[in-house]
Amino acid sequence: MLTVDDLAVGYGDSIAVSGVSLHVDEGEAVAVIGSNGAGKTTLLRAICGLLPTRSGTVTYDGDRLTGTPAHRVARRGLAYVPAERRLFGGMSVRENLELGAYPDRPDAARMDLVFGLFPRLADRRSQHAGTMSGGEQQMLAVGRALMSRPRLLILDEPTTGLAPVLAEEAYASLEALRGEGLTVLVAEQQVPLALDLADRAYVIEDGAIQLEGPAAQLQGNPDVRRAYLGIA
Amino acid sequence: MAVVLDGIAYGLQLALLAVGLTMIYGLGGVLNLAHGQFAVVTGISAAVLLDRGLGLPAALVLGVALAAVLALVTDATIMRAVYRLEGEARVLLSLLLTIGLAFVIDGLLIYNYPFTQLNVRVPGPAIPVLGVPMRRGSLTASALALAALAALIVFLRSTRQGKAVRSIIQDEEGARLCGIDPGRVRTAVFALSGALAGLAAIAEGLTSSIGATEGTELTILALIVTVVGGLGSVAGALLAGLLLGIIYTLSQVYIGAYVTFIILLLAAMVTILIRPSGLLGRGA
Repeated sequence: MLTVDDLAVGYGDSIAVSGVSLHVDEGEAVAVIGSNGAGKTTLLRAICGLLPTRSGTVTYDGDRLTGTPAHRVARRGLAYVPAERRLFGGMSVRENLELGAYPDRPDAARMDLVFGLFPRLADRRSQHAGTMSGGEQQMLAVGRALMSRPRLLILDEPTTGLAPVLAEEAYASLEALRGEGLTVLVAEQQVPLALDLADRAYVIEDGAIQLEGPAAQLQGNPDVRRAYLGIA
Repeated sequence: MAVVLDGIAYGLQLALLAVGLTMIYGLGGVLNLAHGQFAVVTGISAAVLLDRGLGLPAALVLGVALAAVLALVTDATIMRAVYRLEGEARVLLSLLLTIGLAFVIDGLLIYNYPFTQLNVRVPGPAIPVLGVPMRRGSLTASALALAALAALIVFLRSTRQGKAVRSIIQDEEGARLCGIDPGRVRTAVFALSGALAGLAAIAEGLTSSIGATEGTELTILALIVTVVGGLGSVAGALLAGLLLGIIYTLSQVYIGAYVTFIILLLAAMVTILIRPSGLLGRGA
């Protein structure tokens, strides 16, 4: 479904990500794990058209995505939820969700589905997004992304700023979405949660893929356990 | 009381003049220093068309349309270069290029139409409002400004496209992730701001008159309202327009017409000293 081939991304003179290749198949959940500054965010932003690429290609459903501006990528059923969430703080929950469906008219059934997944959003549909708690904002960011009926949901550190209980809740909702057939690509520092969700994972360090494999296998890998799972 | 009503009437015109400017800033972080010149283009073209025997409504509509088209052309040409830059460089280039555009428009209009004035009279006796007799021209101008501002607010609050405009002002990256193309929205709003400036020119023509030399003064007035209200805030422009309109008429009546402009600038300076981001601007 999504194929990244030999991708290089840089800011100014420095190369932040180089030689990265990965693929996500329909119906899969794939995690990209790595420490802060490893290049996870740069990689995802380049896939979504928010950053220009230096070389390499991104292919989605057989079409080249490289060089496509972010708003066109979004309209093709690839929804990105950034770590900063990028909500419209001065607008209500309902308006944020409506904008998620842009340019289409927001679909009531779709909004009910989001409210069903996140009942707290339904309770707060008239509240301004900027006044909500971190956990609620994360729910809204995912909800807004779902409004566009995406086939592939890409999340960058969905647990940013969340207490452990809320982080687990966030992953529980992603698990529920997987059950509905959504394909998920998630970048995460909270490695245990991500590996529990994912079928496969890539370990990225210094802007390059160091390791890849089935999530269960990585969970058992001594290097991964030492570096990310806090187990000696 | 009469002074306050006159102030509100003038304030609505100021708000109408400023909302376009503030929306463009909110959307792209740029300032258009030819904004008042767009208004003058409507005024002069409507006056010329009237002179050639065109009916009043047609002349006014064409005048407003011309300002919108001029704004579109500006967006498609010099603003393209501006939006390629980011941050401070972007604002600076927008200032330089639009001030150049303002000089060009001023030069052409003042050379070709030095004595042309748009002057729309609404005949009939004054109508009492809250016991104060108000001139029909002034009331018509207020009604025009109110209708345009109300339509703008309904557009921004209740339509999908209007919400897209607000979403970009709040978080451009978030808007892009929702599938909104900021470039296209900016183009549409630039044209809209030209049309709004044109409507402000008609309101000015209804209350007094508008001629070729007034572009820069209108630009500065729009800038003052925009800065006092908070750059990028439509509600702020409305509030600041009304407040400054009242200050303007009060100082004209009680202090003297020759210092009103200075007093407006002082009001703007005081606001910025107390609230650097303006009345309703976002954080400072």
